[in-house]
Amino acid sequence: MATLELEVAEEAVTQPARKGRRFGMLFWVAIGWLLFVFAVAVFANVLPLPSPTDMDMLERRAPFSAEHWLGTDGLGRDELSRLIHGARISLFVGVFAPVIGLVIGGALGMLAGYFRGRFESLVVGSMDVLLAFPPLILALAVTAYLGQSTFNLTLILGALSVPAFMRVARASTLTLARREFVIAAQALGATHARILLRELLPNVLLPLLAFFLLGVAVIIVVEGSLSFLGLGVPPPISSWGSMIGEGRESLDVAPRLAFLPAAAMFLTVLSFNLVGDTLRALTDPRQGAL
Amino acid sequence: MKAGIRSSSLARIFLVAGFSVALSAMPANAQKAGGNITVGLELDIPGFDPLKVGVYDTAALTASSALFDTLTTLDASGKPQPKLALSWSHSEDFKTWTFKLRPGVKFHDGTPFNAEAFKANFDRQKDPANKCRCAFYISNVNNIQAPDELTVVFNLNDPSVNWPSLNSYANQNAAVHSPTAWKAKGDEYNRNPVGTGPYILKSWTAGDRMILEKNPDYWDKDKVYFDRITLKPLPDAQSRFASLQSGEVDLVWDDETSADNIQKAQKDPKLTVHTYAGSGAAVYALNTKTPPFDDVRVRQALVMALDRKKMSQAITNGLSRPASNPYGDGSWVKCKDDGALPEDLEKAKALIKDYGKPVEFKMLVTATPRGRTVGQVLQQLWKRAGANMEIEQVDQATIPPRAFMRQFQLTPWRIVDTADPDIQMYANFKTGSPVALANYSNPELDKLLEHARNTPDTAQRIDDYCAISRLINKEAIWFWTFQNTYYAISTAKVKGLPKMYSGVIDVSRAWKE
Amino acid sequence: MAFFVARRLLYLLPVLIAVSLLTFSIASLLPGDLAYTILGDQATPENVAALRAEMGLDQPIWWRYISWLGNVLQGDFGRSFRTGQTVLQAVAERLPVSIELMLLAQLGALAIGVPLAIVCAARSGSAFDRFMTGSAFGMLSVPTFLSAILLIYLFAVELRWLPATGYVPFGEDPLANLRFFVLPSLTLALAEWPGIMRVLRSDMIATLQEDYIALAKAKGLKPARILFVHALKPSSLTLVTITGINIGRLIGGAVIVETIFALPGLGRLLIGAILTRDLIILQGVVLLVGAGFVLMNFVVDLLYAVLDPRIRHGHA
Repeated sequence: MATLELEVAEEAVTQPARKGRRFGMLFWVAIGWLLFVFAVAVFANVLPLPSPTDMDMLERRAPFSAEHWLGTDGLGRDELSRLIHGARISLFVGVFAPVIGLVIGGALGMLAGYFRGRFESLVVGSMDVLLAFPPLILALAVTAYLGQSTFNLTLILGALSVPAFMRVARASTLTLARREFVIAAQALGATHARILLRELLPNVLLPLLAFFLLGVAVIIVVEGSLSFLGLGVPPPISSWGSMIGEGRESLDVAPRLAFLPAAAMFLTVLSFNLVGDTLRALTDPRQGAL
Repeated sequence: MKAGIRSSSLARIFLVAGFSVALSAMPANAQKAGGNITVGLELDIPGFDPLKVGVYDTAALTASSALFDTLTTLDASGKPQPKLALSWSHSEDFKTWTFKLRPGVKFHDGTPFNAEAFKANFDRQKDPANKCRCAFYISNVNNIQAPDELTVVFNLNDPSVNWPSLNSYANQNAAVHSPTAWKAKGDEYNRNPVGTGPYILKSWTAGDRMILEKNPDYWDKDKVYFDRITLKPLPDAQSRFASLQSGEVDLVWDDETSADNIQKAQKDPKLTVHTYAGSGAAVYALNTKTPPFDDVRVRQALVMALDRKKMSQAITNGLSRPASNPYGDGSWVKCKDDGALPEDLEKAKALIKDYGKPVEFKMLVTATPRGRTVGQVLQQLWKRAGANMEIEQVDQATIPPRAFMRQFQLTPWRIVDTADPDIQMYANFKTGSPVALANYSNPELDKLLEHARNTPDTAQRIDDYCAISRLINKEAIWFWTFQNTYYAISTAKVKGLPKMYSGVIDVSRAWKE
Repeated sequence: MAFFVARRLLYLLPVLIAVSLLTFSIASLLPGDLAYTILGDQATPENVAALRAEMGLDQPIWWRYISWLGNVLQGDFGRSFRTGQTVLQAVAERLPVSIELMLLAQLGALAIGVPLAIVCAARSGSAFDRFMTGSAFGMLSVPTFLSAILLIYLFAVELRWLPATGYVPFGEDPLANLRFFVLPSLTLALAEWPGIMRVLRSDMIATLQEDYIALAKAKGLKPARILFVHALKPSSLTLVTITGINIGRLIGGAVIVETIFALPGLGRLLIGAILTRDLIILQGVVLLVGAGFVLMNFVVDLLYAVLDPRIRHGHA
């Protein structure tokens, strides 16, 4: 994931800046933070950390020490280790769920925007139906009945993000499909598949990727909310959301137990939002605001 | 806390406007009539019709102790005192109990309370056509007779020495409902209960609150002080305690897993912590018909891998008291040797190794912070011994059906504080009982249970129960973690709360200074 | 216009049917036998078979769907097996709470977002504008449950100004009712205002660059009048859309806030139904919420068409 981000960032720089917009300091700080979080999450199992689930039951809520850099949580587990493993979970769900949405929603949106007609109405209608359901409730129902697991959670959140990606892809395709290069390709007798893949996809991909980053931010928050209620990833897996939920009981005794994961989540979500928003402003300047 | 102190002067201005602080100059313990009390409960109450809900949980019991009366009530020393029954007597063999009822009592809807009405309650619960889940709790009752208007006779299948004490709190079987009401309202009765109690249901919004108002025609109305009781379900423990601190509620149910709050309340002069060390314990049942629990080595290993002191420290700041048998310090059953397995991690590891196959199983926990915490601690303890437990979170209400259907490998359960261990021990361990969760059948255990039930001699019964404990502990079909300690936290102004027998918080005869 | 409405209605119907179909499928395909759950320890094979026959659970799924839908269209959504309440009773008790929460949250969000948007648009590029835009952006990254617990900690536990949880019906005590709603609506408003503010701000900046604004300035109209009358009006369309969509979304979606603040709204009813496997309630309420959302969108679409003639004539 780290390499993908770098590529996207470089591409964005080499493109002609449309409105004279430049990447501010904040953008690079955000990228830096994200790289740091990704690196730490990916290498979590290699780092010399104590296990995130081993309890030192007599050393609950211990302050910072040499043995536990960030202290221990309410059950005596190492806080730093739990934060880092929490990053793994948040990033895993946060990235793979929108990937599902991107692939399925993006494909549906492009096809709908290109072929129009009945197919488009069907796709748009189905998405409207899916959007009519309160998403948290659907996610809860699935995990409650099919079992709580990171996999189930990623699947259902991915499914729920399909309509949003469909809309972005369709909107982009609608604008692009009327442009000269597409009409030219059609005149030259190119097949639909060729037009879709060679002409449209590269151009639709950029707004989709920008939206993808925003989607990651949203999914991290949704997973955090579900885990906060205890109904997201199953215990004892630590997720930032469940850490905040558990830390809530110690707010006046040891506020760091809730604030450390809260800060981590906030910074990560903010960074994804910053990067995504900047890219979106670059690729579609008319839609300046969320 | 500093922020609070700094802004206290500012807050005071708002506090005076927002709260009415009654600075009473009354003498310390004089009962003060009038006023309201708001109680924060853990769970929402689904209803009161035993046919619909099966069992009353702790929240429902607080409401039912105000809405309904029972035949007797327990005093401060645990002895049964008259309530709806004025006096009682028993046959030689303790199988027949005769109760003389109080005259002149009426249900809230005007129906007179008499032996026929009482009998109608029991008959309805026992009628097999009603398929009441409450029926097996009164499986010991063969039938009830109402020879005259004020006499009720229980004909029991087996002797029960402490029968009057067992009907002393308004659970799903003992609460007396108005027959006219349930016949008239049918399905709607569940949420429109009618009893003879000191309070009448005024309004009830699901998930929000229940308002009870003083019954002006109550037979004991001089001992009833509050004009109104408001019951609110506040499932989130932190919010519940915050509501108590901010004055929104006057009393909250709580348990040891909110140890921080309890300890905070103990240090706060404006709050009172009420506690009762009951008999019974928090327990777990292993399904001996499913692997890996069909092998006694695995079961024993799990029990020996526990470290109750550390668990108590981790989960409840050391407040919980470890349990080694199903009776506990609060019971009159005292055993010299209860056969408890030692807490020995090395032996546990050896047993699991001896078993040879990988030990993997699921445990049910309630989908609450409390359930998750306990689950994770147990998970960790067993991991050290080489057993892998997966947590399965379910709603509190789903545990009884799953348990009754034996759809579990390991489930939490509870042995509630009662005056006599017979009912629960018999139900939990006799072959063929619907609540014999471990699916375990042992003729010797059955014999001991029968004998304990049939003997009126207390010393012999203690021997029996201790033998039962030794057997169960050795076979490790159930295990116990901590004894029952019941808690309620209130503002210091609330007085007159009786002992929380069976964990019931009864505010019906309390008052506020 | 009538043609437009008719066309949209025609589209609405299949969507509503699809919503009902999806709701029923999800509820029916969830594993776990409803009859077992209801019967509990009385679940002997005969009892289970009898109850299933009584509830029609042994019929094929399409038959059950048709009969459920038939009942629904007559207003019978079924009863909760736990409390005995009908779905409509349960919803009627909770709907006012959810609506009040949602209305107050939207009002709060508008009260914060609109003035900020106007000021920022007028002073676009200034330090204040950059600060506010940055804050809006930051606020979007704060999860609702986080702001909720922070607000409770600050206002209810530390300062003791406001209650942490609780609810009183408006009819019974309007002042207390509003007091209980301050923190929950504030939590939601804090989550919603950035979206409103950013959209409105960029809309207004674009409008302010139009020629007719320059003309108005040249004519010597007062800046306030220009801002409010001429610049704000075209953006009202966007505001309406956003508010409408948010309203539809929030009714079933304020689950986190309702849980943390113990408000007896629809969100909590749904969570409770899921956790206790009360499928009748789950399926009935999800249908109502879903249908409500679809209808809300329809109304917003109509409003949009009324306000913008271009849409009416199919050039969206």
